[in-house]
Amino acid sequence: MKRRTKNILKNAGIAVGALAGAVAVAFVIALFYYDRQVAAQFEGRRWTLPAKVYAAPLELYAGLAFSTDELIAELDRLQYRETNTLTRPGTWRRRRGRFEIAVREARFSDELRPAQVIALTLERGVIASLRDARGNDIPIFRLDPLLIGSIFPIHGEDRIVLTPEEVPQMLPAAIKAVEDRKFDAHHGLDFEAIARAFWVNLRAGRVEQGGSTLTQQLVKSYFLDGRRTLGRKVEEAFMALALEARYDKRDLMTAYINEIYLGQQGDRAIHGFGLASQFWFAKPLDELDTAELALLVAIVRGPPYYDPRRHPGRAQQRRDLVLRILAQQQLISAEEARKATAQPLGVAARPSGGYYPAYLDFVRRTLRRDYKEEDLTEAGLSIFTSFDPRAQVAAEQALESEIGRLDKRTRSDEGRPGLEGASIVTLPQSGEVIAMVGGRNVSFDGLNRALASARPIGSLVKPFVYLAAIETGRWNATSVLDDTPIEVPLSRNNVWRPQNFSRNANGPVSMVRALSESLNLATVHLGLDVGVPKVAQMFTRFGLETEPRALPSLLLGAVDLPPIDVAQMYNGLANGGFHVPLRAVRAVVNEQGERIGAYPVKVEPVAAPDAVYQIDRMLTYAIARGTGRAAAARLPRELIVAGKTGSSSDLRDGWFAGFSGTHLAVVWIGYDDNRPTGVTGSSGSLIVWQKIMSALDTSSWQPPMPESLEDLPIDYASGLRVTTGCSQDEVIVAVPRGTSPPFLAGCAPPSGIGDWLRGIIR
Amino acid sequence: MRRFLFPAPLLLAALALAACSTPLYRPSSGTTPSQPGTTTPEQPGSAVPEPTPPATPAPVPPPAPPPRSHRLSPATNALVVQARTATSKGDFDAAAATLERALRIEPDNPLVWIEMGQMRLASGDPVQAENMGRRALALAAGAPREQASAWQLIGFALRARGRNVEAQEALQRAGALVAP
Repeated sequence: MKRRTKNILKNAGIAVGALAGAVAVAFVIALFYYDRQVAAQFEGRRWTLPAKVYAAPLELYAGLAFSTDELIAELDRLQYRETNTLTRPGTWRRRRGRFEIAVREARFSDELRPAQVIALTLERGVIASLRDARGNDIPIFRLDPLLIGSIFPIHGEDRIVLTPEEVPQMLPAAIKAVEDRKFDAHHGLDFEAIARAFWVNLRAGRVEQGGSTLTQQLVKSYFLDGRRTLGRKVEEAFMALALEARYDKRDLMTAYINEIYLGQQGDRAIHGFGLASQFWFAKPLDELDTAELALLVAIVRGPPYYDPRRHPGRAQQRRDLVLRILAQQQLISAEEARKATAQPLGVAARPSGGYYPAYLDFVRRTLRRDYKEEDLTEAGLSIFTSFDPRAQVAAEQALESEIGRLDKRTRSDEGRPGLEGASIVTLPQSGEVIAMVGGRNVSFDGLNRALASARPIGSLVKPFVYLAAIETGRWNATSVLDDTPIEVPLSRNNVWRPQNFSRNANGPVSMVRALSESLNLATVHLGLDVGVPKVAQMFTRFGLETEPRALPSLLLGAVDLPPIDVAQMYNGLANGGFHVPLRAVRAVVNEQGERIGAYPVKVEPVAAPDAVYQIDRMLTYAIARGTGRAAAARLPRELIVAGKTGSSSDLRDGWFAGFSGTHLAVVWIGYDDNRPTGVTGSSGSLIVWQKIMSALDTSSWQPPMPESLEDLPIDYASGLRVTTGCSQDEVIVAVPRGTSPPFLAGCAPPSGIGDWLRGIIR
Repeated sequence: MRRFLFPAPLLLAALALAACSTPLYRPSSGTTPSQPGTTTPEQPGSAVPEPTPPATPAPVPPPAPPPRSHRLSPATNALVVQARTATSKGDFDAAAATLERALRIEPDNPLVWIEMGQMRLASGDPVQAENMGRRALALAAGAPREQASAWQLIGFALRARGRNVEAQEALQRAGALVAP
């Protein structure tokens, strides 16, 4: 009996011992396993660093047209503050009409510019002088490039990573005081806190208090998904222990500050205090005051629940609690706490820098050709673009307001999605895209119609039909075209009978009138005469990848293109027959500040400059008196612009593409489901285009006329020559030298004198 | 690589300095009548029957348009100088980035395009050099000195591609334009 008991005890002892041993071994193995896991994540690249995308910096130089309001708006956008003393970078002041700006250190694609003070004076809307701190003239100076977004991975983590030196001292202290008072002493777990939390939760009957240390919170955010199971808790504890064993507290605190989740915007998850500061207050972390820092610390506990924009009451209560804790812990004085508590939340109405999903999408697509996805989303690249926030705001507002107006007017079927639109603005000579809108809801990260919605271009094709004609040398602006009904046999039983928009035929018309008024019949006659294949070739000549099929209906734009392709083709017209690939990215710089990618301008002559000049000149008449005249009435009288309307059949799509001397803009309006809109290109899209052009500081289209051409005054309707002032309906077209159509009846000068004059001049 | 294959930058620098005395380039409006009262006469044998000539005063012959000339603004000039330094160090990416800043300030100035083309030639890209020369040429309509610089750039770019006959032709055009 005794012996048996002894044996049982002995066996039990062995079993317990073996079990304990096994547990110990398992514990060590687990620790070892988690240590390896934790190390793999921590070493090398400790955070995924989404590429930061920057706008074009504003160039300041004497002679630049620039108003006081524009300067202040720009400084505001860059989060510079007005002060009396220029004590630190990021401030400015105004002294007797002179602006003094303490600029921050800024990284550009080609240099790291140190912080410094500059002074500038403005006189009558122009920068009169630009000087450095010692009073020496500076020929040109770049303001900081504005951060416009980041390229975060699919799961949406976005962050701005800070070094320990960039973090205000108060922040780690406040985080510890509120979230984990024993952080400096524990080894990853705080058993007392766990016990307390257990007790509190037990009494409350629900989870009221978490016992997690900062290390555990870090682990949870780093490695695990959001599920709360016992297994997860155990895993989390192991990892926390492993992290603590390997890294010092300072490293862990820095990791926490950069890692913790602090907000959400659509698919974009705001991680870390650096980005959270921008997201909630629109300013850098080191410029936050006590109350603002306290609010960020308050949000840690539950970003959706304590969202200060949606739930300001809750957020304020918790902020004030944080402030009380800070005072109790003597991190701030009671006086400071009282003052901070009296402050409003101070949250910015919108996240800083705006949100430009369409443009960022374009940037991302460009870079995907040359970089791996992980490089973009993790490697901390800086991407410098040609984005212009002023042009973007103009394009967004123009589209939003006009579509909103049209939608009210045209919408009859409730419940279906409303009108949509897209627009693109470029600098034609360099091919830089400076603004892009992908839909009416500009901050919705959905379908980017500027790149993805291929729609029939309608009459936008016409300038290319006329260009093909002019290139043959057989036609010019004065040529008489045949605007009469036509039947085009397509197949055996299929005949195409195009019609003018007005349903009328005009008979013989001048080419300049046919293009300005977008006459379909004249264009089809002309295009068939020139040859449809020549027109089809224009698409690839002007930079598109595929040539459309050379069918007669191509002459009236039965080809689907997204706005970006239309912009590419019209950019060649705006740029005098030189193709420049459209681009958003100027340069890519790595984390160490080295330029690893450059996207310089490339040009290629694709059409004779004099042929394109003749087309462009005719397109100025499309605006001045043709289908675009509604824009002319609202633009400054002296501004010369050129452009073309486009509408697809049954008005499913309304287009306008046009340019000044310095900007090209393309606008599309239609329904996503391709319903008829009842809106022509010359109403909706044209108005949007005009509003964009009016808001930009743009210059007239007036390149020097090619020497092979000359100005010729003609009668608009007939194309016949006139002497200036003799016809009510005179336009001055550019034609090859020596072009001499007959005079309009009653308009010829006394015969003989002209010939004599010609002899003298030549 | 040799830094510069031709002395065009010197020529340009000289032009930029010399041009200080001439007014800033202001293109005239392209769509307004350049010379009111200017008409070209009817051709003999015109198809339109001409009624009695209107009693207009005898037209005044248009003055020959004065040759245009271009110069760089102080801001652009500073960037061009900076870009040349980068080019001479072989840092073509930096030179390109700096010249594009100049291009954004003066997108229609042929001198900027010529400068970019020269930089591309130095960097070993004669195709872009030639294309930029042609872009400059189009912008230099009516400006013989800038046309000469553009033809010279085109000539050297063609020569770098081994197209010697065309190169010679381009250089001759350049020479004819600046000949007294």
